Amino acid sequence: MNARPGKFTLGYMILALFFLAVIPLHAQVAQGTLSGKVTGPSGVVPYASVTVKNLTSGQSKTTQADKTGRYSVSKLAPGEYEVSVKAIGFAAQSGKVTLAPGAKQTLDLKLTPELSLESLGFSVAQTKGSAHEQALLNKRSHMLQVHQKLGLITFFPLVGTLVAATQTGGRRHPSSTGRNIHMALGSATAGLYFATAYYAIFAPKVPGVEAKGPIRFHKAMAWIHGPGMILTPILGAMADAQANKGERLHGIARYHAQVAVVTAIAYGLALLSETKPNWIPGLEHHAVAMLSFHHHHATLSAAKHPAAPAGGPAMALAGQAN
Amino acid sequence: MKRVNTVSASLKFLAVFLLLAMPTLARADSGWALKQSTLTYHVTHPLHEVAGASHAARGKGVCQAGECNFLIAVPVKSFGSGDTNRDLHMLQIVRGAQFPMVIVRAQMPESELKSSTIHANFDIQFAGQTAQFKQILFHLTDHGDQVELKGTIPATLTDFKITPPELLFVPIKNQIPVTVDMTWQEQK
Repeated sequence: MNARPGKFTLGYMILALFFLAVIPLHAQVAQGTLSGKVTGPSGVVPYASVTVKNLTSGQSKTTQADKTGRYSVSKLAPGEYEVSVKAIGFAAQSGKVTLAPGAKQTLDLKLTPELSLESLGFSVAQTKGSAHEQALLNKRSHMLQVHQKLGLITFFPLVGTLVAATQTGGRRHPSSTGRNIHMALGSATAGLYFATAYYAIFAPKVPGVEAKGPIRFHKAMAWIHGPGMILTPILGAMADAQANKGERLHGIARYHAQVAVVTAIAYGLALLSETKPNWIPGLEHHAVAMLSFHHHHATLSAAKHPAAPAGGPAMALAGQAN
Repeated sequence: MKRVNTVSASLKFLAVFLLLAMPTLARADSGWALKQSTLTYHVTHPLHEVAGASHAARGKGVCQAGECNFLIAVPVKSFGSGDTNRDLHMLQIVRGAQFPMVIVRAQMPESELKSSTIHANFDIQFAGQTAQFKQILFHLTDHGDQVELKGTIPATLTDFKITPPELLFVPIKNQIPVTVDMTWQEQK
């Protein structure tokens, strides 16, 4: 019965001796302290999280800086440490420091603001998207795409009307069939044209945008072909009425062909200004010359055929626009 | 005399120790600021070659422990091709009102900024999408405390899920390379 407690006592003594031998050895390694201040570009950064990781053992200690930005991590064994700092609004940073035995090392940490759009000087208004503005742009683009497609389609009956006109215009007694075809194509052209114009005129405008580039020429041409497209059918109807009565064309009805041609040229140029390939240079600069050529040609025609004098209201408009 | 030698040796030891123990964090701070830039996108259509340029980019770089992080941002609407109508259409196609900024984030070793070429990895946030570009070659020219960087980013419309716009029923090409010419100023 007594032998068992004796064995236990001996065991405890050996264990105690072992600990007594080890503890002083451990205590001989002096521990260090790392402390400092966390600052940013505008001064102290309070409550930053500072983590010190021993690169040999992998053990880490985390502390929080106080409201004055000061931090301290004690009981650190000598060796190499990785120090990392995190604070709201600042980029996380890390670096290395070597701690000597028993050293009380000071390490001031300087944080830089996290890279952000605000730090680049962009305002919130500049960087914030607007679904409303996007919807406006979507509607505008949709309407202008319809405008573009209708505009292209319109071009074909327009050319057809002009070709049909060559079968009727200038003749003293044009056939009623030829005139009917010309009128039908002209009506189709006018209908398509006004539908095309609707999608351009009522497309939402983007405020604060100043028109630049070929679009200015495209819009300028509308001041010619727009009134021309209104005037041409009116003059055509008057000319048709006079022809039906067997009368020679007289009054403003005589200008029907000239107005139609100028309108068609302005329309073609407007179309080309937005679609022309790169290899056609400076269309807008050639436009004046082309219209001048037509004016010159029409003047020569008028000299030969006094019944169809050159110029007219549309030509006057062409002159104003350029 | 012996005492003087002992003090001198101690001072030398202290100096060496301080040099070794000097925290690297304290000397790692440096930065870069974008001084001027020209970013140009190129669009190709069978009938047209269009280029739209912006000089409105702003950027910063922060270098820590040998690693640099860069942030560059440019408003989408600042790109101009010389035709208002086309620019507004571009703005609509790329959802520029909803996502008004092109944001580029790059990371690279600080040492690369002193070489004549770099192969940069970066993310571009544009049109509500983020695309990654890896190992894009840029040429650097050192002008003292300024560095000029030139290169081309091989961007495509599909990178950002953008539907190619059409002209005369023909869509533009998927490739929209962006040429970059930037001058960065070192901030010490």
